[in-house]
Amino acid sequence: MAAAVAIAPRTESSIVRPPNPWLLGAIVVVGCAVPLRSIALALTSHDVDLVRVALLDWITVPFILAGLVAWVRRPESRLGPLMILGGFASGLSALQLTHVDALYTLGAVFDVLPAALFLHVVLAFPDGRLGTRFERMLVSAAYAAAIGLQLVKISLGALGPNSLLELWAWPAAATDVQHVQLLSLSAICLAGVGFLAARRRQAGRPRRRSLALLINSFALGLVMIAVLFVVGAFDGPAFLEIQRATLLVIGISPIVFLLGLLDARLDRSGVADLIVELRAEPAATDLRDALARALRDRSLALVYWLPDFQTYVDVEGRPVELGDEDGRTATSIDRKGAHVAALVHDNALDEEPELLEAVGAAAGIALENGRLNAELRARLEDLKGSRARVLEAGQKERQRLERNLHDGAQQRLVALSLELSLLEEQLAGDPSARGRVDEARREVAMSLEELRDVARGIHPAVLTGHGLAVALESIVARAPVPVRLTIGIDGRLPEQVEVAAYYVVSESLTNIGKHARATRATAAIVRTNGHVVVEVVDDGVGGADTERGSGLRGLADRVEALGGRLRVWTPLGGGTRVKAEIPCV
Amino acid sequence: MRVAIAEDSVLLREGLARLLGEGGFEVVAQCEDADDLLLKVRSFPPDVAIVDIRLPPTHNDEGLRAALEIRKKHPAVGVLVLSQYVELGLALKLLADSAEGVGYLLKDRISDVGEFLGAVSRVANGGSALDPIIVSTLLSRQRPDDPLTRLTPREREVLELMAAGSSNQGIADRLVITLRAVEKYVSSIFGKLGLPSTGSESRRVLAVLTFLRS
Repeated sequence: MAAAVAIAPRTESSIVRPPNPWLLGAIVVVGCAVPLRSIALALTSHDVDLVRVALLDWITVPFILAGLVAWVRRPESRLGPLMILGGFASGLSALQLTHVDALYTLGAVFDVLPAALFLHVVLAFPDGRLGTRFERMLVSAAYAAAIGLQLVKISLGALGPNSLLELWAWPAAATDVQHVQLLSLSAICLAGVGFLAARRRQAGRPRRRSLALLINSFALGLVMIAVLFVVGAFDGPAFLEIQRATLLVIGISPIVFLLGLLDARLDRSGVADLIVELRAEPAATDLRDALARALRDRSLALVYWLPDFQTYVDVEGRPVELGDEDGRTATSIDRKGAHVAALVHDNALDEEPELLEAVGAAAGIALENGRLNAELRARLEDLKGSRARVLEAGQKERQRLERNLHDGAQQRLVALSLELSLLEEQLAGDPSARGRVDEARREVAMSLEELRDVARGIHPAVLTGHGLAVALESIVARAPVPVRLTIGIDGRLPEQVEVAAYYVVSESLTNIGKHARATRATAAIVRTNGHVVVEVVDDGVGGADTERGSGLRGLADRVEALGGRLRVWTPLGGGTRVKAEIPCV
Repeated sequence: MRVAIAEDSVLLREGLARLLGEGGFEVVAQCEDADDLLLKVRSFPPDVAIVDIRLPPTHNDEGLRAALEIRKKHPAVGVLVLSQYVELGLALKLLADSAEGVGYLLKDRISDVGEFLGAVSRVANGGSALDPIIVSTLLSRQRPDDPLTRLTPREREVLELMAAGSSNQGIADRLVITLRAVEKYVSSIFGKLGLPSTGSESRRVLAVLTFLRS
């Protein structure tokens, strides 16, 4: 079934090998070396822009840290390594602040690269992959500008005398190349912002606050880079201040990322709350709310899997389809190898499979109970449906029988009786034959009358043909007591509703004749918000037996099969009131 | 007198046509369904149309609708509705505005040839013919302090015939009494029921029905 396809596979993470611990150790060591190097730089030089160095470290350290955490938590995602690379690139770019020519040149080569890496991280978030061709083109262009044009620029002598890579000095060309480089990078970053905006418009605002914050910090970082490069290209005012602000902003992103992870950690405390809540054995609907709170996803939907029906149902036992809704994922919850339920949640929770697993495990028994409950309701619904179908089939069959009698036996008998009377006319000269024909004609008339009663008992054809108002006129006229009939409906109702209403009135009037010793009665059929209400009231002795002999049980079945209800008030000495409410839109 | 028949059972349609033919009527149209009847009535109006209440295609209310339409658009054409069941509700619908030139009988009644032909010609001439079952249903209706109890048995008989659409002469023939006696009974009945005396016999039918229904 289609719904099962949407269930996210949960085994993927176990296939990808975790990162090599030696490698991780090395990254940590080198990462720690970066700030140490900066301290050394500060101690040994006097004319170094210390603020800039500190700001570069402010980027390097959180990026490496966040990258490490991301890599360990999600080995299958390339985001972690990418962030580590970004951290190191910005660390390397700080080398251009030294007075050693080789290091200076190396640092200069990586000067603009962090911007391209940052864009890569932004567009590759959250799974570390660039999804569309447009994204890949954008990131490739950024790398080409950040590395390729940087090398061209340096080889043309853009860095001045200390550069080791100057091939020939052509400062005018170098300036042009720098303009092209910075402006194109700026444009690419703005395109990246536009892309983020488009993605948000498509997927809607992320439902998790920390995620929204992260995306916003990404966008702000890209805008700052774009502004910085434009100002740099045209030697605009306050370049230094803008540069510092930009570095500051870029460093915020990995911190927000780490906070987001911490947020997820905090969610674990939600699991503890959940366990406490579950101990109180919440009602079926409260269970969903408790889960939604624990997962911090207000949009959470809880559906149960019913193997007997091969379908998912909601809390009420109504079948639901798990479609491929944008931005939603269904996570399956299994217990003892059997599929129990699915949580349909915001995509953002895909990032926290442990949380989902913990919540699923904590709610296990409650979910199993919930499933049983939903199954019970589903079976009840099923039963109701089949009762309605049985009744309808019976009704159709009765209608067919009546119709067959009408078109067959009844017509033939009428024709026969006509034939007999014509024959009788011709037998004017033979009184005895005439008498016998007349006798036969009377017999036929009797048969017709009996047949008519039988057919009417099978199904009141007038109801199908002409509706309740017409059909009830005769019933009321033949009633054993004076009846005031009020019909507050225009036109026809659905056939099943008409039939049920008809029987409620006719059975009630019959009961009045049999048991009530009433002097008068009223029968009313009205429509009130979505229901047809049929009410028959008499002023008799009351105390009617609602279970036996009165036909009330049959009436209740008929009404309930249509989703309605039948109520009877019959206090001793206080008359009887039968009220049926039948849903009817 | 010209008659149009709408009846989907061939057996019955042919039988009716023969019966009417032998009774001195001219059967100008035999129709299977309501549309055909309406077309023929429009192009060549008969004096009376005999309509089966259940006609194709759905056998629900086509016949009744055709009857009501003829009464509305061709008031000069009498309409006699035949049915396997007679229903008070339908009678009231047919006679909603007037009882002139309208009849509603159980199909069985056609085997009582004399009565039936009488009813057909009565309707054709603008009179009425209501099935005795309708009248007895109305008469059996329970009423708080029923004024019908004040009628003598003979008066009750006259009332039944009157309600069914019989003329004074018809009642006199049926009960084998003089026309003068019938008139006396009628005015006595109207007095006891508190009904204003009305002129035509079909208006009298409506007045009695309205009284009996309330």
